[in-house]
Amino acid sequence: MADDTSIIGKARPRIDGPAKVTGAARYPSDEPAPGAVWAFLVTSAIARGKVKSFDLDEAKAVPGVLDILTHWNVGGDAKPPAPTSKGKPTTTLESDRIWHDGQIIAVVVAETYEAAREAANRVHVDYDEEKPSATFGSPGAQEEKREPGDHEDPKIGDPEKAFGAAPVKIDQRYETPTQHHNPMELFTTTCFWQGDKLTIYEPSQFVYGLKNNVAKQLGIDPAKVTVVSRFTGGAFGSKGGTTARTAWIAVAARRLKRPVKLVATRDQGFTIATYRAETRHRLRLGADANGRLTALIHEGWELTSRPSQYNVSGTESTARIYACPNVETAVNLVHADRNTPGFMRAPPDTPYMFPLESAMDELAYALKMDPVELRRLNDAPKDPINGLPWSSRSLMKCYDAAAERFGWKQRNPVPGAMRDGDWKIGWGCATAAYPSNIAPCGATVRLDGDKASIGLAGQDLGTGAYTVIAMTAAQALKLPVENVSVELGHTDLPAASLAAGSSHTASICHAVAAACDKVNAKRAQGETGVIEETAANVPNGLPDSAMDKINHGQMAISRGFGRKDCTAYAFGAHFIEVRVHGRTGEIRTPRMVSAFASGTIINPLTAYSQYMGGMIWGISAALFEKTEIDLRAARYTNDNLADYLIPVNADAPEIDVLLVPEEDNAVNPMGIKGIGEIGIVGVNAAVANAVFHATGRRIRRLPIRIEDMV
Amino acid sequence: MTFTVTPLRRWRITRRKLLKGGMGLLAAGAWARFFGFFRHARAAETVRPPSTITTRLRINGRDNTFKLDSRVTLLDALREHAGLTGSKKGCDHGQCGACTVHVNGRRVLSCLTLAATADGKDVATIEGLAEGKKLHPVQQAFVDHDAFQCGYCTPGQIMSAVACIKEKHAETDADIREYMSGNLCRCAAYPKIVAAIKQARGATERG
Repeated sequence: MADDTSIIGKARPRIDGPAKVTGAARYPSDEPAPGAVWAFLVTSAIARGKVKSFDLDEAKAVPGVLDILTHWNVGGDAKPPAPTSKGKPTTTLESDRIWHDGQIIAVVVAETYEAAREAANRVHVDYDEEKPSATFGSPGAQEEKREPGDHEDPKIGDPEKAFGAAPVKIDQRYETPTQHHNPMELFTTTCFWQGDKLTIYEPSQFVYGLKNNVAKQLGIDPAKVTVVSRFTGGAFGSKGGTTARTAWIAVAARRLKRPVKLVATRDQGFTIATYRAETRHRLRLGADANGRLTALIHEGWELTSRPSQYNVSGTESTARIYACPNVETAVNLVHADRNTPGFMRAPPDTPYMFPLESAMDELAYALKMDPVELRRLNDAPKDPINGLPWSSRSLMKCYDAAAERFGWKQRNPVPGAMRDGDWKIGWGCATAAYPSNIAPCGATVRLDGDKASIGLAGQDLGTGAYTVIAMTAAQALKLPVENVSVELGHTDLPAASLAAGSSHTASICHAVAAACDKVNAKRAQGETGVIEETAANVPNGLPDSAMDKINHGQMAISRGFGRKDCTAYAFGAHFIEVRVHGRTGEIRTPRMVSAFASGTIINPLTAYSQYMGGMIWGISAALFEKTEIDLRAARYTNDNLADYLIPVNADAPEIDVLLVPEEDNAVNPMGIKGIGEIGIVGVNAAVANAVFHATGRRIRRLPIRIEDMV
Repeated sequence: MTFTVTPLRRWRITRRKLLKGGMGLLAAGAWARFFGFFRHARAAETVRPPSTITTRLRINGRDNTFKLDSRVTLLDALREHAGLTGSKKGCDHGQCGACTVHVNGRRVLSCLTLAATADGKDVATIEGLAEGKKLHPVQQAFVDHDAFQCGYCTPGQIMSAVACIKEKHAETDADIREYMSGNLCRCAAYPKIVAAIKQARGATERG
C-alpha cells in the first residue's frame, strides 16, 4: 500500500506520453523499411465454396506489379497458424477452399501502394459457389454441445428441482451481437529477410507467440525470427493471435528478396482477423420469497467458424458471482460459414454477464426489492462452486461507494416515474467482475550508477505498461522514476506472455520486481559498476516449465478460478443514468458512476483511464456496436468506421470512477488483480436495466436501438 | 477519382465468367492459354500507366519537392515519402480523424486529400508542433490529463484540438465535444480529451 515514500500507488503521467503526443512513438507500420515494396490483399467475394480459377493477366499488366501470390504458386509455402482453441483453423492460400466471406485468396505485390491496390482490383476470380450459412438459425448451421476440457461446466446441487420449486422465477432468453474490435491502428505487417533471418514489424499483444507461430508455419527455426511491436495502436484482443496474413507477407518478401509492407484496409480487418461472436442465452433464476437465490441455470450458445471450436464460455464466471446452492451451466457451439472468432475485451464476461445481470434486475422487480439489496442478500462469502475462499471480495463496498456518489437513494423504483420534460429518466445498476489472472514472465534489469533500464517482451497496448514497469523498478531500486527507461515489444528481450485477460500488469511487474531483487542482492554484496540481472517469475500453482511454454510462444496462465488455494476476482459496481426521449425514442447516457476494487493499483492515473475506457466500451456494447450480417451472403455489411457505430466524443457521458482501496495478500505477492477488462463487464446490463426503469421495456437483445423504444 | 478499394469483393459477375459462358465447353485453363495473347492485348488497353506529378509541399516550415503517383494521398506522401509517420492511417476513408493535419492553417483529413492538391501549400503535422523539447500546450495538456491510451489517434486528436481552439470552438464543454467528434478514440479517452483542451485553451490564449 502506498505511503509517503512509495511510488507505487501514486498517479503519474505516462513515461511514453511525450513520444505519443509528438508523433515520435513508433508503431510497427512506422518502422523504416528501406526499399520496401507494397502488398495488397485480395479477399473472397463468396462465403463458401472454392476458387475455380484466377485471371491474373490484367493485374500483371499494371506497371510496377512484381508478384501475385495465390494457392497456385505458394500454396505449400506456409501452413495455417496454429489455432487458439480445439478444432482446426480456416485456411487461406494453402488451397482453393473458401471458408468465409473476405478470406485472403491472393496477395498482390507491387513497387507502390497505388499499383498494388490497382492490380488487386484487377484480379478476376471465378468461384464454385455454395450457399453459405450466416449465423444462428441459418439453414445449414450446425449446433453441437461444447464438451468440457478447456472449460469447466460448473454444477452443484439439483438446479432443475430447485428451480421447479422456487416461488419466484425468472426464465428468459437473451442475445448479444457480433462485434469487431476496430482498434484505431489497422492490421499491418512488414517482413524482410537478411539471409535466413526474418524480421517482422507487426502490432501484437504477444510477440513471442507471433515469432514462434510464424516460424512453425514457415518451417524455420524460431531463433531466426524477430518480431518488433514497440507500440500497438489498440488491440482489445484482436492482435493476440497469429493471423494468416503474416506468413504470406514473409513468403512474398522471401520470393522478392525485398522488404514487403502490408497495411490491410479497414474493411479487410473485419475478415482477416477475429471478432466477438454473437451469443444467445437461456438464463433461469429461482429465488425464495425473501430474494435468496435457490437455482441458477445458464445455457449459452456461441457462433464459430466451420472448423473451429473456439468459444469463451463465460458460464465459468456467471456460476460463481452469487451465493446459490443449485447451479448448472452448459455451452453450445454453432458452426457457420464465418471467420473464426476470438477474444475481445472481457471475452467471456461481456456477453455472459449481460443475461445474469439483466435477470438479477428482473428478479429484483419480481420481488419488489432494490436491485442493490438483492445483490447484497446474495453476496457470496466464498466461491459457491468449489467452496474456496475469495482472495478478497469487495463487491458490496463498490456498490455502496458508487451508489452514494450516484445518488441512488433518490431513485423512484417505479418504471417511467422519473421524467425531465420529454425525457424519461432511468437509473440502472449491475455487477462487474473479472477473474484475476497472472502468467509467467521474464525481465532484464540493468543498473548503471543511478540509472536503470528494464527490458522485457511485454506490450503496452495503451494500458500504461511502460509506466507501471518504471514505477515498479524505481520503487524496488530506490531510484526516481525519471531515471528508469523501459524497452518492450521486441523478441530479443526476455519473454512475456500474451498481454490480455487483465493478466499483464501482474505478470510483468512481478518479473521486474524479481529481477530488481537480484540486482539489489548484488548491490548488498558490495558489487559496483554495471549490474545486469535477468529473472523469471512463475506464478504459484504453475510448474517451472510454464516459463518454457511462454518462451515457445504458447499459453500458460494461472486463472482466477481453478486455483487450489482460493478464487481470485476483481469486483465492481456500475450505476448509469439513461434518458429516453418520449417522442423520438433517442437514448442518451448523460452520466455514469462505477466503483472498482482490484487490489493494488500501481498507477491510479492510467488505471482511471482504463476503467473509464472500459465503461464507455460497455455503453457502446449496449447502445451502439453491432456488426450487421447479410444473411443471404454471410457477409459483414457495415465494415467501416462510419457504419460500425462506436461512441464519439459527444456520446461520452460525464464519468466518475471510484477506486475502492483493497489490500489482497492472497492473489499474488504484489496484490495486483488487473483492471483492463472489468470496466466493461456488466455495463450492457446496467444500461438495459436503466432503460427498463425509464420506459418499462425490458430489452434482452443488444444493442438497444431507437427502434426498440418506439 | 475514387479511393474505394473494395469493389473486387462485390463483383460477382466477372468478364471472365461472361467470356466463358460464351465459349462453352472447353476447360477454363485451356481457354486461358489459348486466348492468352488476346487477353494481354485487352489488359494493355484497360491498364494505363500511372501519371507522375511533381508536388511541392511546405511541411512544418520546410520546402519539399516530391515526384508522386497522382493517386498518392497527402497522408501517404507524409508517411511514406517524407518520412513523417506521426500522422496515422486508421481508416483511409475520412471516417476516423487519425490523419488530421493542417493545410494552410485549417484542419483537414490528409487521407482524403490528394497530395497533388496540396501543391504549394503549407502543411503542419504533429512533428512540427513542439518547439524543440518544449511541448505545445495542447501536447502538454494531453500528457498531464492522460488524454490517450494507445496513442494512435492522438496526433490527429491534438492537431484537431489545436485547430478547435483557434476556431473558437472550444469555448464550452458541449462545443469541444461536438467539434472534436470527428476524431475517434477507440480507447475512449474522450472525457480526458475535453479536460486537456480546457487546460490548453487557457494556455494557448495566454501564450
